[in-house]
Amino acid sequence: MALTGLFLCLFLMVHLSANSILLLPESTARALYNSYSTTLRESLLVKIVAYVLYLSILLHVGYGLLITLANQRAKPKKYAVNTFGENSSWTSQNMGLLGTMVLLFLVVHLANFWARIKLGMGAGVGMDAQGHVDVYEVTYSLFQNLYFVVFYTLLMVPLGLHLHHGLKSAFMTLGFYHKKGLRVLAKVSLVYAAIMAIGFGIIPFIVYLK
Amino acid sequence: MNVNFKIWRQDNPHSKGHFEQYGVEGLTGDMSFLEALDHLNERLVANNEKAIAYEYDCREGICGQCGIFINGRAHGPHDHMTTCQLHMRSFSDGDTIVVEPWRAAAFPIIKDLVVDRSALDNIIEQGAYITAKTGTAPEANAILIAKDLADKAMDAAACIGCGACVATCKNASAALFTAAKINHLNSLPQGAHEASKRVMQMTKQMELEGFGSCTFTGACEVECPEGISIVNIAEMNARRAKAKWWG
Repeated sequence: MALTGLFLCLFLMVHLSANSILLLPESTARALYNSYSTTLRESLLVKIVAYVLYLSILLHVGYGLLITLANQRAKPKKYAVNTFGENSSWTSQNMGLLGTMVLLFLVVHLANFWARIKLGMGAGVGMDAQGHVDVYEVTYSLFQNLYFVVFYTLLMVPLGLHLHHGLKSAFMTLGFYHKKGLRVLAKVSLVYAAIMAIGFGIIPFIVYLK
Repeated sequence: MNVNFKIWRQDNPHSKGHFEQYGVEGLTGDMSFLEALDHLNERLVANNEKAIAYEYDCREGICGQCGIFINGRAHGPHDHMTTCQLHMRSFSDGDTIVVEPWRAAAFPIIKDLVVDRSALDNIIEQGAYITAKTGTAPEANAILIAKDLADKAMDAAACIGCGACVATCKNASAALFTAAKINHLNSLPQGAHEASKRVMQMTKQMELEGFGSCTFTGACEVECPEGISIVNIAEMNARRAKAKWWG
């Protein structure tokens, strides 16, 4: 969980930096965004990383499911009254639920972009003036639909919560036990999760208002 | 002070078990929680009913026997406290207090509030001992140990094996208990000889006993009467990785 999770955390940083191109004025954003995504698709290294990414997602979900089932077997009977809010955060108690919400988001997100652009499913994707696949148009037209904007923004809340607990506990799972370091890590996790959730969440709105 | 106890009753490990309500009158705030249970038991026995089975020994917060889940918290509403140190003044007159046994697959219920915590002993047997000859008590001073290291080992050694960490954990993980036992001995020169074997065997046994895995909710360190830090679990993970990959 920890290794795949940390890799996904790293990926999200790269993903968000690329998304920030969408915040530029339309004329620059379209050309830059499309040429960037074309470069990614044509690079062998990125292809390899993409397969590592697919594998990480599958392993993270699959292993998460297995470990959740095993943990439920370890505690088959629940308490009639359990005020766990007094000794731990709601997030830490509900990583599975939050992860499922993120997975739900991911399915929709992949259907919106990955399936259309890479698998050629659904409506065709045009070319821009430079002859690059017009990924910008796919993004722009999707976020003219307010339902998608709200969906993309709302589901960044569980993502942020999942990342906040996930990042720090991944380090502890891997054996990082420096006390001062862990205090810094807790703050870094909070800032990281906030940047990811707010960053990914606000971009659809800005694109909508463009 | 009058309270309404809602207590888990179960005759034996195989029976189904159910909650039963008992109105208890004439308690005082200075009574410990266990004394309130005794008060109720005296009445039950006088009425020729079965007394509520629960475990206790020292009644001074050091033995770890009195593990009871009270109103949704291991050892009741306070952090870092055993049940025997909990007093009725922590509740209000007329409260309903829900009393349950520890819940974990690895802690089968024996009767009412008594669970079998042998699984923790089985983990201990796998390595919480030393083979180094350390001599008699005065000779302990012959082995020089830095103050910070001694403090660290002592903090982990404070574990009284009450099982609150398992009880409160949503995964019924015994990671805090096992980590405390491992870090106590592995931090000291006396425990160095079996360091790798200890961490491998004890963590293996922890899995075999059917405890869940740690997801770092942090509930255990709050409920631990000794306040043993969850950082111990991260340290155990590091020791385990080191033992596994580098021997």
